[in-house]
Amino acid sequence: MAALIRGLRAGRVLRGLGSVAVQGTLSPQCSNVRRGFHRAALLRLANDSKSDTSVPPPSYHEVDTAGESSSSSAHGESSEDAQPNTSFQDQSGEHGEDYETEEQLQARILTAALVYCVCVVNAAPSESTGWRFTTNHRPGFTDEMLIGRCLQGRNCISKKTAEFLRDAVEMRLRMLIPYIDTWPRAMSILLLPHNIPDSLKHLSTMVDDIWYYAGDRSTDVNWYTRRAALTGIYNTTELVMVQDSSPDFEETWAFLDNRIKDVVNMANTAKQVQATGEAVVQGLMGAAITLKNLTGMNQRR
Amino acid sequence: MHRFVRPQLLLCDSKQPLLPTAGQLCTNHKSVVSSVRAYVVLPPTNDEEEKAMLHRMMRVDHAGEYGANRIYAGQMAVLGHTQISPLIQEMWDQEKQHLRKFNEILAENRVRPTLLLPLWNIAGFALGAGSALLGKEGAMACTVAVEESISEHYNSQIRTLMEIDPEKYSELLQLIKEFRDDEMEHHDTGLEHDAESVPGYQLMKAIIQAGCKAAICVSERL
Repeated sequence: MAALIRGLRAGRVLRGLGSVAVQGTLSPQCSNVRRGFHRAALLRLANDSKSDTSVPPPSYHEVDTAGESSSSSAHGESSEDAQPNTSFQDQSGEHGEDYETEEQLQARILTAALVYCVCVVNAAPSESTGWRFTTNHRPGFTDEMLIGRCLQGRNCISKKTAEFLRDAVEMRLRMLIPYIDTWPRAMSILLLPHNIPDSLKHLSTMVDDIWYYAGDRSTDVNWYTRRAALTGIYNTTELVMVQDSSPDFEETWAFLDNRIKDVVNMANTAKQVQATGEAVVQGLMGAAITLKNLTGMNQRR
Repeated sequence: MHRFVRPQLLLCDSKQPLLPTAGQLCTNHKSVVSSVRAYVVLPPTNDEEEKAMLHRMMRVDHAGEYGANRIYAGQMAVLGHTQISPLIQEMWDQEKQHLRKFNEILAENRVRPTLLLPLWNIAGFALGAGSALLGKEGAMACTVAVEESISEHYNSQIRTLMEIDPEKYSELLQLIKEFRDDEMEHHDTGLEHDAESVPGYQLMKAIIQAGCKAAICVSERL
């Protein structure tokens, strides 16, 4: 009964998404994907009736393959979107077996939406909801959830900060690889004035998350400078990636390495300058006191 | 309170109400455990507005304590070698403690600090040093004015939280009450040490309090 309700819910949601996405301009690609997706929904219903709500946390590999396989076939999609069970049930949890947290449903929808990103962007351009769909459901939309879960799965807290930042940005940019041909279009849509508040929000949430999981707990102006630096790194690397033609985007990762090194150097230089400044001030104070002593101004008569 | 996925996450012009119907199925289930663990000050919440409100409160309180710290630092810089310095140092140490607590809360709850912190750094130090140049009475008058503003601000926060839900915010209320009592103590100490005998006391107090109100207003938003 519970599984049936969930299946109904899932089916309704997916059908709803599908119908709006392919409004009007139905390319054969799209309808295939849609059919594949309905198959996936049925698959999921079958899976859900067997398994319980407790699902092991996803590994980096799982989510990566989920992202990369979505462009080719949709059938692998649903069965692979494992989510951690994030419902709070520690002490007095009274959740039934069929309880699904908001996060789990969000994760399901977002993973499903990844498919539609490809579908719409590859279809003939139309000024209808197709494009807005892209902006609402770009992979970046899933940043907060996917990166957070990926990183928790990898137990990344022990890595050094610079390496961690590099890995996080690389992982996030690798999620673009399946869509890299149409990504410039998506970027230009994101820059439309109508969409800028949303895209800025997504970007800032993602950068905040990366820094948080890198271990940043600053509560002063460093909070802002660090996030600004990482935003710059991410945006420039994204631009480089879009026009990179080297095998497996090696040039992009080299560029990313250099940018991260630059930021680290700048931070260290700033620290050194500050330390030097303090030392100079102390030296000057010492000199002033010595002068006062020599001229006898320090003595109290 | 169990809220389903926000409609904005879906397509803007979808004609079918997708999740609201599905959401009704979920309202029968119990949602997030509402008990507050002893060491957590801000209650965990899924409601966006409540989270925004709590973050705003913590942001402005953090900015306030940071500013108070810098004011005492400025006063100590000028009056550090006088008779009044142990008293100012004691009050400064209490403010440092408050700031440490707010730093913890901000870090734990991922609250964004206010962008104007460098401004409060300079302004606070300048205010402290400037008032201390008027002598010990000037420093005390500045303390009285600032602590009165801060106490008033904490009181209004306490009122807000009590109106919403005193039990849910019991930890937070306790913390704010404790800090408010400390600030009132500083205010009384300032009065005891001849704050009112500085020339132009009323004018100085009015200006400082107006500045504090503006700072609080801006720090909440920025």
